[in-house]
Amino acid sequence: MTALRVAFASGVRHAADYLALLAADHRVEIAGVVEERTAGDRAVQDSRAVADRAGVPFGVVDDVTSVAGALGSPIDLVVVCAEPTRHARLAAALLDAGLDVVVDKPVATTLADADHLVAVAARTGRTCAVVNRTHSPALRRLRAWVDAGHVGLPRHLDLEFFASGAHFATSVERPELVVDRKLSGGGEMLNFLGYCADAALYLTGLRPIEVHAFSGALFLDSHRAAGVEDTAVVTLELERGVTATITLGRVPFAPGGTPTTSSIRLLGSHGHAVADDDAPAVSRFGAAGRTTIADDAGQVAAAAYLRHVVDAVLAGERPDYGIGEARATLAVIDAAYRSTEAGDVVAVRQDTVQQNASVHQDEEERV
Amino acid sequence: MSAPQRLARAPVGIAVVGTGAFAREHLLALAALPDASVRWVVGHDLVRATALAALVPGARATTDLDDALSDDAVSAVDVVTATPDHARDTIAAGRAGKHVQVEKPAALSLEQLDAMVAATEGSGTTLVVGQTVRFQPAVAALARAAHGGEIGSPRLTHISWYTGHAWPGGWRGWQLDPELSGGHPVHNGTHIVDAAVWLLGDEPVEVFTRGLRTFSPEMESPDSFHIQLRTASGALATLELCYALRRRGELLRRMVLVGTEGTLTHTTSEEDDLHSDAATAPPASVDGALRTQVAHWLDVVRGDAPQIVTTPQVRTALATALAAQRSLRSGRRERVADVPGYAGAPAGAPA
Repeated sequence: MTALRVAFASGVRHAADYLALLAADHRVEIAGVVEERTAGDRAVQDSRAVADRAGVPFGVVDDVTSVAGALGSPIDLVVVCAEPTRHARLAAALLDAGLDVVVDKPVATTLADADHLVAVAARTGRTCAVVNRTHSPALRRLRAWVDAGHVGLPRHLDLEFFASGAHFATSVERPELVVDRKLSGGGEMLNFLGYCADAALYLTGLRPIEVHAFSGALFLDSHRAAGVEDTAVVTLELERGVTATITLGRVPFAPGGTPTTSSIRLLGSHGHAVADDDAPAVSRFGAAGRTTIADDAGQVAAAAYLRHVVDAVLAGERPDYGIGEARATLAVIDAAYRSTEAGDVVAVRQDTVQQNASVHQDEEERV
Repeated sequence: MSAPQRLARAPVGIAVVGTGAFAREHLLALAALPDASVRWVVGHDLVRATALAALVPGARATTDLDDALSDDAVSAVDVVTATPDHARDTIAAGRAGKHVQVEKPAALSLEQLDAMVAATEGSGTTLVVGQTVRFQPAVAALARAAHGGEIGSPRLTHISWYTGHAWPGGWRGWQLDPELSGGHPVHNGTHIVDAAVWLLGDEPVEVFTRGLRTFSPEMESPDSFHIQLRTASGALATLELCYALRRRGELLRRMVLVGTEGTLTHTTSEEDDLHSDAATAPPASVDGALRTQVAHWLDVVRGDAPQIVTTPQVRTALATALAAQRSLRSGRRERVADVPGYAGAPAGAPA
């Protein structure tokens, strides 16, 4: 069987998880990790650590498009897993160099950058996959139920996504990757809202029209000090009058047994259904009270999606979620931030945004 | 208070005003309390009033509220009429020196509510609003934990409350008319808005609402809606109410309350369902709430217990629901302070 030679362009944040998941696929050969010389000592240090733990080559490069030369191996697919503010630039460069990429979420921190990636991917004809959770088994099961007609027409979705602040120090490599706008591009709306927006669009097949959002730093000093939100309540109006609410946040103790917990309640014209990423689970009773034994939903969904990307690239096909879908979701995030700034409901930008226009016109005024 | 303790006390003389389905529920709940003496059932249809009075030994039927109000043995009046009549009946009872329990929503405007409070509390009697949800076992337990400091300061709540179509009367049902019911955010939204105000212990300042007409686009009042709000201290809430599940009597409710030191949740989906082709029993987390509520009311009337539902809280919740109804119509974020009569009117801590 032909091996898919995969390299990492930057290895911060979730890179260790993605590398382990891909390395477990017998069709994949991990060629190594490269990091930009200009990325800073911490990023270089983190990327090197990921490579060292995996026992794969590591190289510091001036330009990530030299990844094959730096690692001494031909490369078929590059995983871009840097600070979110670097994602779009690295991905565009790699696409322009003729490489297929899979980019960690958020794929970009501005809608203009996402639109640029859409254009580059179209021009180069390369694959621009983006990490997402639409391959979550619970979500797929719910979609199948909808597709089979059991709930009639979806009319409303109630989506919730929480991460435990108690896991904040361990669920991401460095907290500043989430709260420092220069690295993260925003707070937890940019970090988590995409999962929920993806689910709404995936379940309904409808375009988002309008967004309203309230947000705040309700719980965590790290977010409050950085001036970014840890919590948000968001409502979407989709085409055909379908609505969705999203309640999200990094809260002290998320109501689930794993670092993140998410659930969906779908109301249809002829029935309703629930999807819970925490199920199936086993309860354990002991000195610590009731605890839950359940798979980490984020890991499960990422594993399924990365497996799908490998399937698609090896077959010469496009993954079912790429830069087009990620752009649609980023447009919802963009609208949510604009809503919090405007103090009212705003329209989702459907038109292409030029690259000098930021998601947040003035990042200093954010949150 | 236990049943033997109640039995040992002189009964509270009560008049029930209203002859609808919920008045019947109130009468049955009162009939089960040994310290309640229902003396009158008041309604504009004497046949229906007589039929309901027959449920409670010793009760008489009348079409004239003054018959009940002039009865010195009546010290408390239970107003279970349609919402537009609440103010009229409550004010009349208050002016007659009676304690009042009024069904939710208490009023269609803050002006009405303020007049009702003035006629009762302003004259030395009490006004209890029937926020039955607070007396549901699971909600009461969740609130006790929150108010007891078990999760630190509550900062976020997410309440999803879905049930089957609950209004009788087909297209004749008055609840469908926003002019009579106040609109769905006021009529039934009062349940979740009151719960949010109570659990967060804070005053909402901004709301945004979207509605959904599941059954018919011709409904004037959407059968389902959601409210998102921000409170004065910045706490947030997502509140969803749907009266459009396929099966009547079906209930799916989930409550999440996130605090600075912990999170509380409850969902009916974890309860065993008592369900047949003919009927569905309320989940145990909901059952018995009305009886607990009316028993508490009698304790309040006697001065034996502080009110669990206070009128400042009711005012805050009503103003928020009215703002939500305005948002439903405008499609915009609305400020609670812009509800007529809110600014500069009687204030009170919602918690």
